[in-house]
Amino acid sequence: MKEKKYSIFFIFQIILSLTAVLAVLLPIFLSKVSWPDLARNYLEQNGLQESGARNLVSSIYLGYRAFDTLGETIVLLVAVSGTISIISHSGLSLAKGFGEDEIKKQTYNSISGFHRTELLDVVTGKLGPIVLIFGLYLMLFGHLSPGGGFQGGVVVASGIVFMALGSKTDSSTWLQEGRVLAKIEAAGFLFLILASLSGIPGGFGFFGNPLSATEASPVIYIIILNIIIGLKVGAGIGFMCIAMLGKVE
Amino acid sequence: MTILILILLIVLSLYTLSSRDLLHGIIALSAFSLLSAILFYILYAPDVAITEAAVGAGVSTVVFVWAIRSTERKDKG
Repeated sequence: MKEKKYSIFFIFQIILSLTAVLAVLLPIFLSKVSWPDLARNYLEQNGLQESGARNLVSSIYLGYRAFDTLGETIVLLVAVSGTISIISHSGLSLAKGFGEDEIKKQTYNSISGFHRTELLDVVTGKLGPIVLIFGLYLMLFGHLSPGGGFQGGVVVASGIVFMALGSKTDSSTWLQEGRVLAKIEAAGFLFLILASLSGIPGGFGFFGNPLSATEASPVIYIIILNIIIGLKVGAGIGFMCIAMLGKVE
Repeated sequence: MTILILILLIVLSLYTLSSRDLLHGIIALSAFSLLSAILFYILYAPDVAITEAAVGAGVSTVVFVWAIRSTERKDKG
């Protein structure tokens, strides 16, 4: 009897999800309105010239749709703050997961109860700086090649986590200290707001490119935004991961 | 090639949903992210491919594995 009830519920679930998918997809197939291509054609013809970037994607998300990027970074900021507040309130229960009663003061630089192997030491310790350089490359060359601030920032965060995993017990760099990373994140957000407001005195509006009136190449604005967003994202995600490793007081 | 990757994606996601060992599910999810990164690259979206590889296969796997370390590995449901 119980199994029958379960199977009826399962079939109902499947029918419901199929109906939802059809309700979304059917209007697309049935409508006679042609696919909108005005913005696409405009960007294809003028996007590279107007922004000066050679990567059309970054010219869109830091030039024409920079407002979306601001929202994205705010979402990330809220996510990181929420994670940090949860971790800081449940530090004791987190420490229990590592088999410790609480994180001891003298060993807080090492990962408590973490089984270290030579493989982890060598691979992550040596790979960390290389990953960091690759992340900086993605960040700085986002206007020329695939990549950009967000991608470069995430790769930088992976590099920070690698270095945190691979470092010996006592050694640590300033990149792994929570205070420094939190300050970089906050300063990055401040500079992002300042950069977004910088076009207003010249009459270009919010996130307007202030360089489009001058002789300088407008791509410099995209490079600056890429660096700011990359530092902010890298510091934020790196801080979150290091806090999860139990390395922040 | 695209169809092969899509079929593999469906198989991996079904395995992720149904596996009782959460660590196996996470590794399958990581492979899912890697395969979709390859798919994005084939479909001429290298920016999205970099994001997917870095976030999906890298950072989120680390976060999930750490969550499992702090809780339990087996799903009792």
